[in-house]
Amino acid sequence: MQKQTILNSPLERKRVGLRIWRNRYIYLMILPVVIYLVLLKYMPMWFLRSAFYDYKLLQGFDSKFVGFSNFTRLFNNPNLLRYIGNTLKLNLSALLILFPAPIIFAMLLGQLRSARYRKTVQTISYLPHFVSTVVLVSMITTLISPSIGSLAALAKSLGRTPVNYLSSPEYFVPINVISGFWQAVGWESVIYVAALAGIDPEMYEAARIDGANRWAQAIYITLPSLATTIILLLIMRVGRMLDINFEKVYLLQNNLNLAASEMLPTFVYKTGIEGRKWGYATAAGLFNSVISVVLVIGANYVSRRYSETSLF
Amino acid sequence: MQRTHKKQHHEFIRRGPGAKAFDAANWLFMLLMCAIFLYPLLNMLSISMSNQFAVLRADVTFYPKGLDLSSYKLIFENKDIWNSIMNSLFVALVGCLCSLLLTSLAAYPLAFGDFYGKKLFNFLILFTMWFNSGIIPIFLTIRQLGLHNSLWALIINAMLTAYNVVIVRSYFQSVPISIVESARMDGANDFLILFRLILPLSKPVLATVSLWIIVGHWNDYLHPMLFLANRSKYTLQLVLKELVLNAEASIHNISVTGDATTSGAAALGQQVRNGVLVVSMIPMVILYPFVQRFFISGVMLGSVKG
Repeated sequence: MQKQTILNSPLERKRVGLRIWRNRYIYLMILPVVIYLVLLKYMPMWFLRSAFYDYKLLQGFDSKFVGFSNFTRLFNNPNLLRYIGNTLKLNLSALLILFPAPIIFAMLLGQLRSARYRKTVQTISYLPHFVSTVVLVSMITTLISPSIGSLAALAKSLGRTPVNYLSSPEYFVPINVISGFWQAVGWESVIYVAALAGIDPEMYEAARIDGANRWAQAIYITLPSLATTIILLLIMRVGRMLDINFEKVYLLQNNLNLAASEMLPTFVYKTGIEGRKWGYATAAGLFNSVISVVLVIGANYVSRRYSETSLF
Repeated sequence: MQRTHKKQHHEFIRRGPGAKAFDAANWLFMLLMCAIFLYPLLNMLSISMSNQFAVLRADVTFYPKGLDLSSYKLIFENKDIWNSIMNSLFVALVGCLCSLLLTSLAAYPLAFGDFYGKKLFNFLILFTMWFNSGIIPIFLTIRQLGLHNSLWALIINAMLTAYNVVIVRSYFQSVPISIVESARMDGANDFLILFRLILPLSKPVLATVSLWIIVGHWNDYLHPMLFLANRSKYTLQLVLKELVLNAEASIHNISVTGDATTSGAAALGQQVRNGVLVVSMIPMVILYPFVQRFFISGVMLGSVKG
């Protein structure tokens, strides 16, 4: 309260001016950053307005204002629930399989007796993380190709007819999850390997003296020590339940597997960039962004509440 | 040293038959995992270097059969591929430099500044982390700025990410503020302090962020697809997609009809396609030792925040 009154005095005004002057280089420094943020990060938010227009590229915001009709059209789209359902199906399967996999992988790595072997396995396991999505999808299509794929060769040698997996919707989620496992299990174990390294070795020593075998040590020492990390990552993963790897889903998509592979982001891309219905596509994208933000904030709230750790 | 040696010895004696069996199984399991991680990559490499008949019989697995490097000759003679490699290199390298500069300019005031508007500035940056406007508004913005169909669109769009600012800022803060203060006393301005004092001390974090940006640009497919219209501007991933995946559908069809003559061409196509994929991964392979080290330190930096 007192400060407020002092601020109006000439002395204080001079001090404020001095502080601004002293920071002139700092302001000069943030100037390009602020311009950048305004143009590249906040202007897109301004363009979200196009969700309320029948937006035409050449007319810009002189296009016809249509109010909420893009949104009513979206919510009346009979496929909307299927798009969200497909995303949830993909993410739930990923959660069930891809979430525990790096934990188990890291624990098994920790059990390897030779440090050099462990390092080698780790180095190899990180490799897939650096493969681009285009290359990944190319490898998938080669491997499961019914003509030249290794999987087809295996099927033939077992006396079965090769299946064209990419053209059957029921294989879309398994293809995604298996390739996701390949690409992510090594890399995502990094954080658990680090957490494992932080466990006091004397705990294991004490457990061994008490006669605990390695299974018991894993259950009673390792897992509880990893619990905070696991819970935090789990909550964050749930917060990203509606996010997808757009590139992968888009590239694996074809007309035959569309029933399982069409999701909101790919729908947005096709409606907007390909179909030129900018307003409608923006509305659909905005809907997706808003749900995502709500989920992330919710996840963060839960995490702050129960584990005293939060991202923001 | 002595102590750990003793401990290991101690453990060794206590291992029962069950533990030994587990160790052996674990050892084998990890070997199998390595085979799984490497197989698709080795398969890709092998197909690109194999004789087309072996490719057609789906005979090629871990190693090339009937060595045939003609696909690489075709790749190196292809102007589209060379051009796209140059475009990708330009975007990755120039993008990395621009990005480092802008990220440092954002991180320094947050780390050492004490100025009016710092909270607002921080908020402006962090807000972009939570809310993503989506691809259509970004596309419209890039058009508005006149950057459509320019490689600069890719560079500028990815120049600043909130996450990188946070990582670089927290690394900057490991420099004691008293050093910065005394440099200011000596009359050095903030630009001088940033470029002469802070940046040279922050090489590890700059290397980490650089590699993130380079790998991100090199592997990016979505943004080139959004921003680039002209073939001469295409980046490598766009050309890869065109060469490899658009043709893939026709190959599936060929195999269904079992047309022998077209599938011969398809097999050569397969070698070339896999060869292009291999070529696209060469920079990653060269960078891999650094990438691995700095990416992991990056994960650690990130987990400190989390």
